[in-house]
Amino acid sequence: MLEKREFEKNDFMWRVSAMLTFVSGFFSLLVFILLVINYLQIRAADPVDNEMLTQMRIEYAALPDEDVVLAKRIQELDLLTRKAYFTTQNHLRVGAILLLVGVTIFMVAFKSMTRWRPERPQLAEVPTAEREFLAMAESRNLITWAAVLLLGGGLMASYFSESALVPGVNAGATATGDEGGPVADAVDVIAKEFPDWAAMETQWPSFRGAGALGLAHFVNAPMDWDVESGDGIRWKVELEVSGTNSPVVWGEHLFMSSATEEGEFTVYCYNTEDGTLRWSNKVEGLKGSPAELPEVTEDTGYASCSMVVHGDQVFAIFANGDIVSYDFEGKQIWGYNLGVPENHYGHSSSLLAYGGLLYVQKDQNENGKVIALDAATGAEKWVTAREEISWASPAMAQTEFGPQLILVSEEDVDAYDPATGTLLWRQSVLGGEVAPSPTYNNGIVFAANEYAQAVAIQVTGEKETEVLWEYDDLLPEVSSPVGDGERFYFATSMGEIVCLDAKTGEELWLAELDDGFYSSPVLVGDKLYILDIPGNMQIIRAGAEYELIKTIAMGEDTFATPAFLDGRIYLRTANHLYCIEAQDG
Amino acid sequence: MNKFSSTVLAVIVLFLATGAGAIELKFPPPDFQTSYALPDIYAPEPGITAKDFGWWDTVILFGALSLATFFVFKARSRRGLFLLSIFSLGFFGFYRTGCICPVGSTQNVMAAIFLPDVGVSAIVVSFFVLPLLFSLFFGRVFCASVCPLGAIQELVAVAPIRISPALERVLALGKYIYLGLAVLGVATGAGFMICRYDPFVGIYRMGHSYNMLLAGAAILILGVFVARPYCRFLCPYGVLLGWMSYFSKFHLDIPPSPCVSCRLCEDSCPYNAIDMPTPANLVEKPELGKKRLRLTLLVSPLLILAGALVGYLMYEPLSRMHPTVTLSEQIALEDLGIMSGENLDTDTFRTSDVTSAELHADANAIREQFKTGGAWFGAFIMLIVSLKLVGLSIVKKRDIFTPNKETCFSCGRCYPYCPVEAEPGA
Repeated sequence: MLEKREFEKNDFMWRVSAMLTFVSGFFSLLVFILLVINYLQIRAADPVDNEMLTQMRIEYAALPDEDVVLAKRIQELDLLTRKAYFTTQNHLRVGAILLLVGVTIFMVAFKSMTRWRPERPQLAEVPTAEREFLAMAESRNLITWAAVLLLGGGLMASYFSESALVPGVNAGATATGDEGGPVADAVDVIAKEFPDWAAMETQWPSFRGAGALGLAHFVNAPMDWDVESGDGIRWKVELEVSGTNSPVVWGEHLFMSSATEEGEFTVYCYNTEDGTLRWSNKVEGLKGSPAELPEVTEDTGYASCSMVVHGDQVFAIFANGDIVSYDFEGKQIWGYNLGVPENHYGHSSSLLAYGGLLYVQKDQNENGKVIALDAATGAEKWVTAREEISWASPAMAQTEFGPQLILVSEEDVDAYDPATGTLLWRQSVLGGEVAPSPTYNNGIVFAANEYAQAVAIQVTGEKETEVLWEYDDLLPEVSSPVGDGERFYFATSMGEIVCLDAKTGEELWLAELDDGFYSSPVLVGDKLYILDIPGNMQIIRAGAEYELIKTIAMGEDTFATPAFLDGRIYLRTANHLYCIEAQDG
Repeated sequence: MNKFSSTVLAVIVLFLATGAGAIELKFPPPDFQTSYALPDIYAPEPGITAKDFGWWDTVILFGALSLATFFVFKARSRRGLFLLSIFSLGFFGFYRTGCICPVGSTQNVMAAIFLPDVGVSAIVVSFFVLPLLFSLFFGRVFCASVCPLGAIQELVAVAPIRISPALERVLALGKYIYLGLAVLGVATGAGFMICRYDPFVGIYRMGHSYNMLLAGAAILILGVFVARPYCRFLCPYGVLLGWMSYFSKFHLDIPPSPCVSCRLCEDSCPYNAIDMPTPANLVEKPELGKKRLRLTLLVSPLLILAGALVGYLMYEPLSRMHPTVTLSEQIALEDLGIMSGENLDTDTFRTSDVTSAELHADANAIREQFKTGGAWFGAFIMLIVSLKLVGLSIVKKRDIFTPNKETCFSCGRCYPYCPVEAEPGA
């Protein structure tokens, strides 16, 4: 049977109900506020996290002998905090009952109000049918705005919560073998020794040599060779896959990496004596490696970061954040994904290693960082946040105040303590999208970038450093500078080579050559070796006056910086790898 | 009588809600030896307990659904539905402590679909399927008086007001978003969001986090005036029930016999679930409506694509649904020195054998999953928006007041307003 609603009115009952509703509602609200305050007190009085108690416990635990007085004090304080807690909890319980009573009265009175002054069905003035139509129109508008808000809100959320801080820090940094199991126990790791600076200088362990400064230890580099006839070419290897990273060499091992557009990453090891391929490893299946490749420009590619050798290990990083270490036999020591660098041209910062640590300059759009990994295990040693993006590589300056890790970004030249990651000093002197890496010589850090300026910074050993001078006539776009102690040299992508006085910044000479430079100059004794983009090796006298000693054509585009070792140059062009040897060597 | 019992029950519910807030926290025992003897730690055996009803749960659910159907169609009794709500709240809510529940079972079924190593029991499947089947035939009789979540809200809705139908439709998008997030959470292994954020389970179980208890109490207080806010704007299972009910063979009618269009029921439904008759005369030119519909249909694919793109880009915030990602972030923040002071989660993690490197790698892999999942999620939400816009661009011819099959809870609130008496035997 259909139930009918009654619509009787009773003003007296309504007034009584209304009064009760008001009083009980006010009372309930008051109790509720007190309960919230009480709850906050309970949290503050939590015996588990009592700061003083915790401190006293730590002190007690550190004592060699039992301290009865302190134990008693701890016990008393422990009891006090628990009492305080339970007293407050008791208040909460009483409050809950009071709230219940208040709410009970409120609900009954409120319902009674509606019962004794019922609202009769009101027929709207606007005809029903038109109301429905108007409601549909209003709904369409509101839903459309809701969609816009949802999409906009989603975009905002994704933008503001973008956090490279987290994704890759030391991800998967476990020592794993081919089967993914541990290959080195802790004792092995601790016992591992890494070469010192002197040993590194005699090799070519990283991009632009030891410390990435562009200085060759051996000065007997060949000055005469011919690609067409093969004179002076010890060996030549054709490369199947591209990559713009520079070869690194340790002893009889030369390492470099490549990447296809499809994201097939490979690490190669060649025999420096005859150019035979010792081994090559596909880099795949690393923990955390993303399924999709990040967007990179064609110029940058996925393998523009040069590898680094440290001790008996070699390390490679790719533009998707995959980082991997092999021993000299090609066995994987560890590898994982550091988090995809968010970098609109693609990650291009080369690796650097020193003192058992592997440095990764992961400058990106937001939440950039410089990371030091334990070279032996890949475990993170320290991470320091970076504020600006860059495409440059780190350099290691051996200053009189100790080694300093020098990094540049869109705004700053920064120096960090290589052991701890502490920022030692900063000069905000750069600007624009910086790709040239910094260099150091004779107490001066030199950095330069197109659309900004070239600056020389005197290292003082203090947080305050001195900008010696600035220069902004001609500036490098990609190629990194080098210094000989008295002068700094750099090459531009328009084909100029500039020599500046290290102390004053005076332009000592300017050479205008035909082609631009991406490869970086290397100082070999009193000569500069620099390859232009079409592959002409320009050998220039390093000094206060310009003298072009020789130009030797390699015959194809060149972007990598060569490696210089005892009487040899290891040189990577677009399609070949060369070992050039001095004729008398 | 009806109103009185409603009030009493509402008071009971609020009592339980506030009482549950007083649950004590747990501590370690006091420092140093005292004369107090600590009680033994009791860990109940897993497996069958006195509360394990097995298939009886399903039988009772089936019985309750059948009874609700009877009250809606045959008896047309709001009182009967109200009393059944009390039973459902008592049995499925307080006695069975809100589990198993058809709303939460959605996740179990989704987990069995998306996660290869996860199965689902036949009883849970029956809880998922039965209300849907009843909806397909009889409308949302489950919502009317069987769902414990709906029952608790129905009973506290003592002074409901109507909100604007347009606002109702916009807020109702919330349940699709919640459903999408819940499925995304299950598919990526982030957990069972619907259960984690069930605002009433803390009341049924007499204990929960303070925040969830507060949320439950807030929803109930809101529900006094805006009836069933969870069901209307958040319930993810309600989406599925609504879809089933939309195609239901039978559904509640407001007048038991021919409608006399007295308009008395016009504002009787606090859920905006009564569709009004459409204008006899055209309010706007048909060409305009057709043009709007064409435009909506054209824009819809773009909207869905935009949703997919934004969902994809939102992988970072969305992935924070996953506890591994959250923990990884906390660990990283602590390691970077940005956040000081360890919390219980990070403390526990640091005592485990898992290295932070492994944790971060796992978190990264999960973030990758959220890229795909986020795209699907975004596309789903915009698909719903598109369908809603298309639906709102088509005027369906109606001469009388009819319950909206998708949104009507079959609660019978409109019965008393209808002056048309049932024909004997109707």
